[in-house]
Amino acid sequence: MENRRLLEIEQMLTSQGYIGDKSIAMSVYLAMQLEKPLLVEGPAGVGKTEIAKVMAKALDTNLIRLQCYEGLDSTHALYEWNYQHQLLYLKMQENNKVDITTAESTIFSDRFLLKRPVLQAITQKTQPVLLVDEIDRADEEFESFLLEVLSDWQVTIPEIGSIKAVQKPQIILTGNRTRELSEALRRRCLYLWIDYPEFEKELAIVKAKVPEADERLGQEICTFMKELRQLRLEKTPGISETLDWAKALAGMHLKHLNKEVVESTLGVVLKDWQDMRHTQDALSELLDKTGVVSRIG
Amino acid sequence: MQGSYLEHQTEISAYIVLLCQFLRKKGYVIGPVEQVDAILALGGYNFNEEAKFILALQTVLAKNKQQYIHFKENYLEFKHQLKQASDSKVKTRKTPVKNRARQEQERFDALKSWLNLSKEKEIKETASFSGVEVLAKKEFTDLSDDEVRLIMRLLKKMALKAMRKKSRLKKLTKHRSKIDLKRTIRQSLRKGGDIQQLLYSEPKHKKLKLLLLCDVSKSMDLFSRFFIHLIYAFQNSYDKIETFVFSTALHRVSDILNGHDFENAFQSISDRVPQWSGGTTIGECLEDFVENYSYRYRYLDKKTIVLILSDGWDTGKPTNIQKAMHHIFKSSRKVIWLNPLAGNKNFSPEVLGMKSALPYIDELAPAHNLESLKKVLLLIGKRRKKIAGQF
Repeated sequence: MENRRLLEIEQMLTSQGYIGDKSIAMSVYLAMQLEKPLLVEGPAGVGKTEIAKVMAKALDTNLIRLQCYEGLDSTHALYEWNYQHQLLYLKMQENNKVDITTAESTIFSDRFLLKRPVLQAITQKTQPVLLVDEIDRADEEFESFLLEVLSDWQVTIPEIGSIKAVQKPQIILTGNRTRELSEALRRRCLYLWIDYPEFEKELAIVKAKVPEADERLGQEICTFMKELRQLRLEKTPGISETLDWAKALAGMHLKHLNKEVVESTLGVVLKDWQDMRHTQDALSELLDKTGVVSRIG
Repeated sequence: MQGSYLEHQTEISAYIVLLCQFLRKKGYVIGPVEQVDAILALGGYNFNEEAKFILALQTVLAKNKQQYIHFKENYLEFKHQLKQASDSKVKTRKTPVKNRARQEQERFDALKSWLNLSKEKEIKETASFSGVEVLAKKEFTDLSDDEVRLIMRLLKKMALKAMRKKSRLKKLTKHRSKIDLKRTIRQSLRKGGDIQQLLYSEPKHKKLKLLLLCDVSKSMDLFSRFFIHLIYAFQNSYDKIETFVFSTALHRVSDILNGHDFENAFQSISDRVPQWSGGTTIGECLEDFVENYSYRYRYLDKKTIVLILSDGWDTGKPTNIQKAMHHIFKSSRKVIWLNPLAGNKNFSPEVLGMKSALPYIDELAPAHNLESLKKVLLLIGKRRKKIAGQF
């Protein structure tokens, strides 16, 4: 039974154009089976965020995204009271002589509650996918806010009480390891590490996402990227850069790589000036390893 | 449960519990919740492929990159040990205490003989007690077991003292310690000039960031005992400290040192570092640190004092050390290299690893006795000299 479910998930990911491997399918399967959040870590541009998007599409449900950043607090992630409307309401009720208890219960009700992504996710009637993107960019305090949701599936609002999840959302957290996450957060999640793809996997992704790219061009791009990642770069290019480059070169109707083309389009792949300079110095060697050097002359 | 990989256990839950016990020793943080998750993940699943069985456990039990990547080899090691135990029909027993004590003594003797390079014969140690002042100048090689224990206690006290460095800046406090006249008068001006409330202040504590890179290779074997004790004292007395140990690979051990008692912490570190007492590739390990930790986790910045504990014996390329040390020197507040051999009068940094690192070191200090370690603690608080490298 479960074997079939795992197969279904593999097919579900593939049908949405996500070329993954068995470890990704297993993680998604277990996250759904055990109803636990999934923490996905890995270098930038390897398809971490894509997992949540694909899951939402495949399950035909809403994707609620919470983009984390330094200084993100509960008012932006969980909930906030609509102060302006509360004040306006109180002003309008001044002449009606409403007693304080009634007024208080009205202004601290759902009507004046602004639901931010996390609260939105747990109050939805159909099970949504909540993507907490780049959790490592948020402050440590924010992680503590999340713990209640991740373990008990509820949000506590002092004025109202605890709001339990109607349907447990499927939570995907992603991180680039710019900061170490707390043990408490890790323990509440299942874990998946996605590394840069192997040559075959990357080629399959290029074929699926950029079908207009020539077969040989695709192979050369993937080999070049594999070698490029061996260099010590400030910002190592991920799959998204490979796809951008493949699209750019396919758009130029190129059938294979050559030194001039690589030099002029390196900006699509590398996003750091020092990386560009470093790569240009090692370009001949890189192209040699890619098997392009014979065609230069 | 099908499959030959579970031939030694019939109950899946018992198997998982054993596996979790094994993984805990490897540094995995596994509680009852994770155990239950693992059993649920496998429960009712007809795993006819070992790869999928491992994959499911990996997803549930691994909680960081290192654990995720090394899970399969850890699992296979567990399986191998389990097979060995059941094949021989002998229960795995802990090493008898007597044996362990003997092993410790042997290791300690090995260190002494290694340190006594110039001495032809080791002086027979006596169990007599020396005064602290005498002890301070006594080389670690000449210490009796009682003195080693005393040194350990003193080191801890010294480290605690060194990390409580007070700043000239002051902060308000509720404790009635010292009246802060400046703040009291300034506050009174806001209220018309009448002093209604006295404000108290105390010195702020300086936030020193310390990064310790400790060599635990064979040539540094028992010295690391002292060093790690020192590190341990630092770790628990201040929160801005990161500790890494290295021999042929680099391992972050800050999490182990934080919150364990020394003996357990020491045991856990030895368990986590399989290369303990092995060879050394300082350059590669430092490069690993630069590449994977310094940028990503911001362990290295201009507030960080880097303390490297190593004798400089290296089997790798000297260019690796140069590159990594250049980066560390450039990005840190100060680099202090502790070399136990530097206490020797005839010492000159001739070892290739040490020579390559020398231009990028602010202070090269000996660490052969308590007094020299005390000096190191003082060095930590001082600013970087304009010209780096004193040799």
